[in-house]
Amino acid sequence: MNPRVSVCLALYRRLASAYPHEFRMLYGEDLDRLGEDAIPEVWRRYGLPGLLRLLADIAIQLPATYLTEIRQDIVYAMRTLAKSPGFAAVAVLSLAIGIGMCSVVLSECQSIDGPPPGVRDPAALASFYWHDASYPYFERYRDQRQVVGNATAFLGLVPFAVAFTGEKSAHAERLYGHLVSPEYFTTLGVTPAAGRFFSPETEKPGMPAVVVISDRFWRRHLGADPLAVGRTLRLNGAPATIVGIGPKDFQGIWPANPAELFVPLTCAGSLAPELSGDPLHAPDREMFGVVFRLAAGVKLPAAEAALDAVTRNLDRENGIERDRDRKGRVVRLVPAGTMMRMSPEQRSFIDTFDVVLWALVLSLVCANLAGLLLARGSQRRREIAIRLSVGASRPRLVRQLLTESVLLSFAGGLAGIGFAYWMGHAISSVPMPSATPFEYNFQPSLRVLATTLAIALAAGIGFGLAPALSSVRTEIGVTLKQGGQAPLRGYRRFGLRNLFVVGQMAASVMLLLVTWFIVAGFLLNTHLDPGFETANLNLISVDPVRDGYSVEATASLLIGLPDELSRVSGVRAVSLADSVPFASMTAFQPKIRVSAPSSGPKGGQALHSVGRERIGAGYFATLGVPLLGGREFDRRDLQPQEAPGTKSAPATPAILNQTAARELFGGEVPLGRRIREGELNYTVVGLTHDVRSGPTSTTTDPTIFLPLTTSVFRSNPAQRATILARGSAGQDTLAAMRAQLTSLHPNLTIFNVHTLQEGLNRINSFVQWDAAIYVILGLFALLLASIGLGGVTAYAVVRRRKEIGIRMALGAGSLQVQGLVMREGTVLVAAGSVLGLGGGFILWRALRAWSDVLSRTFPKHADSSLLLLGAPLLLADLAMLACYLPARRATEIDPMSALREE
Amino acid sequence: MSDIYISMSRDARDFLPLHANWFHILLSLVGADQHGYGIMQEVLERTNGSVRLWPATLYGSLKRLISDGLIEESDERPVAELDDARRRYYRLTRLGRTVLDLECARLQEMVRMMQRKRKQEAY
Repeated sequence: MNPRVSVCLALYRRLASAYPHEFRMLYGEDLDRLGEDAIPEVWRRYGLPGLLRLLADIAIQLPATYLTEIRQDIVYAMRTLAKSPGFAAVAVLSLAIGIGMCSVVLSECQSIDGPPPGVRDPAALASFYWHDASYPYFERYRDQRQVVGNATAFLGLVPFAVAFTGEKSAHAERLYGHLVSPEYFTTLGVTPAAGRFFSPETEKPGMPAVVVISDRFWRRHLGADPLAVGRTLRLNGAPATIVGIGPKDFQGIWPANPAELFVPLTCAGSLAPELSGDPLHAPDREMFGVVFRLAAGVKLPAAEAALDAVTRNLDRENGIERDRDRKGRVVRLVPAGTMMRMSPEQRSFIDTFDVVLWALVLSLVCANLAGLLLARGSQRRREIAIRLSVGASRPRLVRQLLTESVLLSFAGGLAGIGFAYWMGHAISSVPMPSATPFEYNFQPSLRVLATTLAIALAAGIGFGLAPALSSVRTEIGVTLKQGGQAPLRGYRRFGLRNLFVVGQMAASVMLLLVTWFIVAGFLLNTHLDPGFETANLNLISVDPVRDGYSVEATASLLIGLPDELSRVSGVRAVSLADSVPFASMTAFQPKIRVSAPSSGPKGGQALHSVGRERIGAGYFATLGVPLLGGREFDRRDLQPQEAPGTKSAPATPAILNQTAARELFGGEVPLGRRIREGELNYTVVGLTHDVRSGPTSTTTDPTIFLPLTTSVFRSNPAQRATILARGSAGQDTLAAMRAQLTSLHPNLTIFNVHTLQEGLNRINSFVQWDAAIYVILGLFALLLASIGLGGVTAYAVVRRRKEIGIRMALGAGSLQVQGLVMREGTVLVAAGSVLGLGGGFILWRALRAWSDVLSRTFPKHADSSLLLLGAPLLLADLAMLACYLPARRATEIDPMSALREE
Repeated sequence: MSDIYISMSRDARDFLPLHANWFHILLSLVGADQHGYGIMQEVLERTNGSVRLWPATLYGSLKRLISDGLIEESDERPVAELDDARRRYYRLTRLGRTVLDLECARLQEMVRMMQRKRKQEAY
């Protein structure tokens, strides 16, 4: 025989032998014979191309045949599942909720860790951790070309009164943006969608003011005008020309605080009051965030060491003293290419916590699915035995059973994606109660969806395979004779199904413990007493300099506002402050470094970091917080004759809270004592109770209260203020105040108008919404565990029907039968609870150790035995109830019909 | 096993237009039962070598035709001298004959339409 013919024949036979078992049973011999007959003839007629064509035909038909069988498997699986709607519904629903939850958890990770849209190579970006730099320092950092490829300085969350036309009379809207150095966009690697971005060559002091707008601003406020570039806006009353539009979805670095506008730092102080006083040349005005794009091949630790050395040199040159961290460094560099600014420890905690939640939910869902499939496989043993006996191959049956589990998991995965979208949309639409823009997007991305689907399919295959293999490992004869009543595997033998149930119980207990811990922490925090009366306390914020008021006019206006508003009907007390407790979820208190005469033997001046609040006259009286000693600020304190810091200026009065007094002066009375902040001197005139600054603060920080003086407005034109007014019950004081302000100062824009109670309610709602997600998780754990246990017990009743019938025929009572059935469930529940409790305890301890990172969020750890024991007890009770129902049904078995069944 | 997947009875029109390979196989079974090799040879001769049913395609089609009820395995064997005991014979079912008749009518109608069109072009 020609060698080519021989090779072709050998290949043909090999391919023919790879056909599916059923096909080979019916047509294998014919296929082989036909090939053997056809090959010599094809060689004679067509030569080598003919042989190749023949081989190609069988090679193409082979996978097509498998695909046909798979299609048949899918159709059969769908018909089979349609006959068991309850089982399918439970499986798909539990998968959908579990996979949906996992997607939401993954989306949360992405909303924090994900790269900011539009930024090139975010992994190369770094910034200082909670450390602002002065502009001269930034310029030196930028010059470190051996470690820094590019750098930018910026001021974020800067409010602008924006008028969308160039006319002076145009109505202004308060929007937020960034003040940026010219290298901002090149450092982030962003390209404009239209027009141009800033550059050092085009943005110089004295040049006409320009602005880059975000894509969202362009669509929302300019109607996606194709001629937007070149239009003039008014920013804080001054004209600025649009020179560029940012790319789609780009909201600046750290888009969790989105920016609508980008203005160069070289613009005049009139455009941005933050830039008055020439901060670009002041080495001590540390007010700029700095973002670095590291040079190629430079890692974060090396860059941190280099920039730390530069900072210490600059500090020496400028006589600045700074605290050092545990590594002896004065600055810390962290990755910056993420959605939100967060320390690596916080990110690590959230990521780990999310992974733990994700793993628990997924293992719970998979264990439930595996248990359901195992039980279902056991019920179909007779059917499988019949099919094996008429010639079905075990691999084909396994494939068909696997098709069912994959179908279920795919359907569950798709439904889970829908659930994830719904949940993600619902969570994203809950506004974060914050005075400044804060957005987070929990919508699952394509990557999250693909991961979710892949996990669903893997779960279907992985957790369907074991039950499928177990189901086909049946002795045909025994199964057919016994009618599927195979000997029951009780708890004494550790069967696969029992293993899954125990695993499910353990995962449920752990999930319940974790979620209860979180919910308890949330709820305990939000319902703590803020420490002052919140009823009828009205808040209005003003920012006059952005409405075109001069610095002097602003100072004069703000000093006089309390008197004007005190004449409004219903107003009992009015004051001013630069921030108000509990006004927002994300309140941030600036820190200053002060010294007080040390009581130590050397009598040195110890430096302390304390929070600083600026307040008006009668602040504590308005807030309803009585002083422990001394006095409040009065009008004289707000209008000092001399600017602070000058030689002839008297010491500025200051009020301390209890924590600050303890830290600065120990147990001594602080009234009349002196405090220094650099060249500034303060005299303590009052002592007040500790008051929490916000819902996320767990302990009271040491705080010094300084008067909101006219000098403050002169030295910091960007200073805005919040008016606090205590109204009378039953009167709409807020509306009256708004009307008064509008009539007296029609050009003044007022914003953040609300009562403190409304603000607290928004915060509570947000926290409760957050807590609700964990409650849903906990309930989900309860539900799944109950379903799993109930299913196992119901199956046990079916399997032991004959045995139960015999026992009842011999005189066993209902209670005895119930006890018999529930004994197995009880052992499984106990085993799962013990495992879950142990795992939950370890998790709880780990969370407690880690919760120092979020110690301001959860002040009271849920370290009560009630929580540790209550969760597994509740779950065990529900699981036993799930066992009880089928056990009760077992007592309704008619002994005669059970005995007659064969 | 594959019997489980035999289609429920379908209307003959549901099979139109008939796949070319199926048409040739059904045509081969008109008038006489035939085995796989015979079908292959008959199609080759009838089409002057232009249509060749390769083995895998042939048996894949036979399997589909059986599951769709257009053909069935035949119990009748030819005389002993012509028979090969290893071979399996197939025959048309009633549904298969109906489908083939409908397909032929469809093809004839298409030929008539083409001829009418040619006459119009000639005018």
